[in-house]
Amino acid sequence: MKERLRIEKLTVRFGGLTAVSELSMTVAAGEIRGLIGPNGAGKTTAINAITGVVPITSGLILLDNMPLTNLAAHQISHRGVGRTFQHVEPFGDMSVLDNVLLGVGRHSHVPFVHALFATAIADRGEKQANSDALNILERFDLLSYRDSLASSLPFGILKRMDLARALAARPQLLLLDEPTSGMSESEADHAIAAARSLAESQNITLLVVEHNMRVMMALADSVTVMQHGCVIAEGAPSDIQLDRKVIDAYLGEELSDAAP
Amino acid sequence: MFETRLNSVLFLSVVALALTASALGSYPVYLMSLAGINIIAAIGLNLLTGNSGQISLCHSSFMAIGAYSSSLLTARYGLPFWLAIPLGSFLATLVGALLGAPASRLRGIYLALATLGFLQIVQIVIEEFADVTGGVRGLNVPKATFAGMYVSEYVRFLLVLASTGFAIWSATNLLSSRVGRELNAVRLSPHAAQALGVPVDRIRLTAFALSAAYAGLAGGLMAIVVGFIDPGEFGVSAALRQITFIVVGGMGTVAGSVIGAAVLSAMPELLRPVKEYNDIIYTLILLGFLTFMPRGLVTLWDSFRIQIARATSTKEART
Repeated sequence: MKERLRIEKLTVRFGGLTAVSELSMTVAAGEIRGLIGPNGAGKTTAINAITGVVPITSGLILLDNMPLTNLAAHQISHRGVGRTFQHVEPFGDMSVLDNVLLGVGRHSHVPFVHALFATAIADRGEKQANSDALNILERFDLLSYRDSLASSLPFGILKRMDLARALAARPQLLLLDEPTSGMSESEADHAIAAARSLAESQNITLLVVEHNMRVMMALADSVTVMQHGCVIAEGAPSDIQLDRKVIDAYLGEELSDAAP
Repeated sequence: MFETRLNSVLFLSVVALALTASALGSYPVYLMSLAGINIIAAIGLNLLTGNSGQISLCHSSFMAIGAYSSSLLTARYGLPFWLAIPLGSFLATLVGALLGAPASRLRGIYLALATLGFLQIVQIVIEEFADVTGGVRGLNVPKATFAGMYVSEYVRFLLVLASTGFAIWSATNLLSSRVGRELNAVRLSPHAAQALGVPVDRIRLTAFALSAAYAGLAGGLMAIVVGFIDPGEFGVSAALRQITFIVVGGMGTVAGSVIGAAVLSAMPELLRPVKEYNDIIYTLILLGFLTFMPRGLVTLWDSFRIQIARATSTKEART
């Protein structure tokens, strides 16, 4: 299978603290990979390093064999890496439609001068972007909120908007940071189904950080387990559940609850 | 559809103001010109501060750059005003981009201090190069001429009016496009913006250049309308006044810039008896609005529109 993401000996240090230590992993195209580990294991730091938000100390990150290291965050987005946020990061003062339009903007770029003079080209670009955004809103069942300000919406809906916005940018690799946190059980199931169908229908590779083992079992093809910035285990979700090191480090008592 | 309606409202307002001014005396027309100039400057500042979220205490310096460079192009090189003013605005844009490059990496108090420092530099340059700029004693701006004839007060007003119309139209276009969304996104969440491919630093720099372009245009127009410029016109007081315009009117909207600048342009006339307290009064207004109406007068207009909509819908329901 074609390899989409390769991480080689990635290390991220903040002063004296080593958040990620020599992390190596590869994710195949179209795969759904889970990334789990206790708090402080370095999962979100790994995502921030891939997306260029935090500078890496050493190591290599390759997307389709092209290095992402040394690119600015927006350039990494243009290479086809999308992400969602644990705490959503909505553009609060904007409508849901405008939030999603910003995602659409990655591949529909009306030049500045055309925008300034509202030319026919700007008009056409804006109409196309609008219809793309509305399609996505419809797919995520968000059409009724299109004109609501993001700041006025509950967390569960914002989570959905965050995913819709990230997908509007048409990423090849999508990093989901705790996509179901703050969701009810049924909302989480709905989100899992949506993520699965997306990954399959559009061949998007997913890297999912998640605390909820139940979600991970239902969603991931394979799971990487991190602790103290290092990988301690990797494999199919059913095997990972039985791995002694993982149970000691992370699952502990929860294992019986987490079993499907 | 909304935009075509907005454009026709804008066009009709410009025509109505042009007709009204033709019946007025020279002084009210002069004051209306100053109001238009303030509106253009406020529109520029609002794109920078209200939309991209960057504070600037040197907006008046870009007006100075536009005013001085267009006046000097006319006085020294004999360029006609209609060429000198756009060139002055262009120069202000370049300087704005130069300042924007380092400034776009600064936030909050650091950005405020950096822009204040820039304002001081521009003031010192104007004062020290007195041979060229006239220094603290000011510069007489050559009278605007067209085809060998002096341009009258009324025609200068028409020029300001057309420029104001253009400023409103172009800024509205920008804000309803990708550019406007990116400016706002950079203010609201730079993290999310860059994850969606928005080049945050470049957008911040663009905002600086863009706001300087409007300020430069306003400065060039001010020079030919007033006929005399001196560094005192473009100091901290002016910068503070411009911030007051957008806070009073409403941050982040073109309507806010227009309302704030139009309402407050009448202030100096009303305050003429207490002229020396102008800065205090502006500051009190600024603080008052920040505390009690942080979204500005434009919210009054919004709630008014909602009430109208409610009234008409209940009327429709009754019939």
